[in-house]
Amino acid sequence: MPSDRALTAVTAPDGRTGAGAAVDPWRLAASILAYALPAVFIVVPLALFLAQSFFYVEGGHIIHVLSLRNYVRFFTASVFVPVFVRTCALALGVAAITVVLGYPVAYLLASLEGRRKYAMTLVFVIPLLMSYIIKIYAIRSILGSNGFLNRILLWAGVIDHPLTFLLFNLNAVLLTLSAILLPFAILPIFVSLERIPRNVLDASADLGASAWHTFRNVIWPLSLQGTVVGASFTFMLALGDFVTPQMVGGTSGFTFGRIIYSQFGFAFNWPFGAALSVVLLVVVMVAIVLTGRAVRPGYPT
Amino acid sequence: MIRLPRAATAALSLVGGFVVLILYGPLSVAIFFSFFRLERNVVRWDSFSFDAYGALTHNEGILDAISNTMIVGAAAVVLSLSFGTLLAFYCRAGRSRARTALQFVIFLPFLMPPIITGLSLLIFFREVGIPRSLVTVVIGHTVFVLVLVYRIVFTRLQSLPPSLVEASLDLGASRWQTFRHVLAPSLMPALVSAAVLAFALSYDETLITLLVTGTKSTLPMRLWAMMRLGFTPDINALVTLILAGTTILALVALRLVKLPQRH
Repeated sequence: MPSDRALTAVTAPDGRTGAGAAVDPWRLAASILAYALPAVFIVVPLALFLAQSFFYVEGGHIIHVLSLRNYVRFFTASVFVPVFVRTCALALGVAAITVVLGYPVAYLLASLEGRRKYAMTLVFVIPLLMSYIIKIYAIRSILGSNGFLNRILLWAGVIDHPLTFLLFNLNAVLLTLSAILLPFAILPIFVSLERIPRNVLDASADLGASAWHTFRNVIWPLSLQGTVVGASFTFMLALGDFVTPQMVGGTSGFTFGRIIYSQFGFAFNWPFGAALSVVLLVVVMVAIVLTGRAVRPGYPT
Repeated sequence: MIRLPRAATAALSLVGGFVVLILYGPLSVAIFFSFFRLERNVVRWDSFSFDAYGALTHNEGILDAISNTMIVGAAAVVLSLSFGTLLAFYCRAGRSRARTALQFVIFLPFLMPPIITGLSLLIFFREVGIPRSLVTVVIGHTVFVLVLVYRIVFTRLQSLPPSLVEASLDLGASRWQTFRHVLAPSLMPALVSAAVLAFALSYDETLITLLVTGTKSTLPMRLWAMMRLGFTPDINALVTLILAGTTILALVALRLVKLPQRH
């Protein structure tokens, strides 16, 4: 229990006086609850998840004995590391595509005014709340050999046979994930552009800088943080996804997320799946730390 | 506000148009084919009908999935709202290391890839002996949206002047009366927008749900199962209905809170 309770309670904005601070059963219950629930439903599961990665399966049963064999298997068996590296590259590709397409859009939004800005922002933000499964489905129905794109191309006479390289491979996963995650890149970049004070831009213009110079020397450095945040969002979300690769990846679009998911399904090796997820988590944490580093110094966010 | 030369605006608009095409093109095609049929790669314009929607009403699986989605969403909203508000009050009442840690912990399920959040809950439920069901899905969704509710309520609490509460107490109101007549009304907009956003996220949640669900499926699960079998007009119809629902939710949510951020 924090010792500053009695002092802060008097002026606490929650409307509770300090009168009963010492032995107020409601207060006590509330603060116990505040820590207990997150502890039980967030911290304990994460701890069990970490512990699970050190157990192993023998004869169809999980042996609750700590060992490193899952991690040894990951690094020594020849199949896992290449898929892991490929998935990281895929997620980096998604981050690159979403930022390259997202930055101009965010910039355009930031240059608009009034109702137009609000409406256009909605256009790019609403897809964030739209069903993820539906977006995958829609994209799949476009890219397939029997899909809309092929039908149009066939009808227009551009091709004679349906293109088959559009679906059920790693490229399809890359394109689909990029399309789905694009708004996650646009939003933070837009926010960072919006935060640039107007007088900074005015000063740059007054000092005779051209639009290009202002962008290059003022706006770009100040929006870099939002860009990094956007890239790391889409990177992290792409890295752990297992539904998109399953829906559009086919057999050649095997990703790390799918391998993890399969350990909890037909492969039934939970400890190994947990260990693979820990590997994933390490990469995510590295990404978070690097993002944190990039965001901290310099311009206040 | 950033000013742009005309040529730059044109170039950026081109990219913007392309992105709109990427974001909305596939969805529009799905919506279109919920009303029209294709015959030998040609759209039959005279085939306009609501048949696909009619077919949906006979599909028990879908009706079940819709009711499951509503139950899970409502439960997750109630739970995350009550607990998120409690946390907001608790963290607003003072500063301490424990509170900072608490804020970090509730942020984790939102920050980490959903597969990690889902797997740790899955392992937890199994180790503790809770069978997978809609209850576990509700817990998963609540844990996931909690930080969002917390942030919205906390931000609102911060913007309220302490003198408001002090005045109420000085005037002889009890703590409950102060909460009921002073705090609750000023928190209401924040609570409503938090509820809408929480529901919207729960409605669409897929990855965590897939991992912690039992035999009952929510809409995304059901759609996933249907889509593995192929494309049928009734999937397009369902997709259209769900999109309409999401768009309404999104417009309401965005009217209430300006631009939700993930951080």
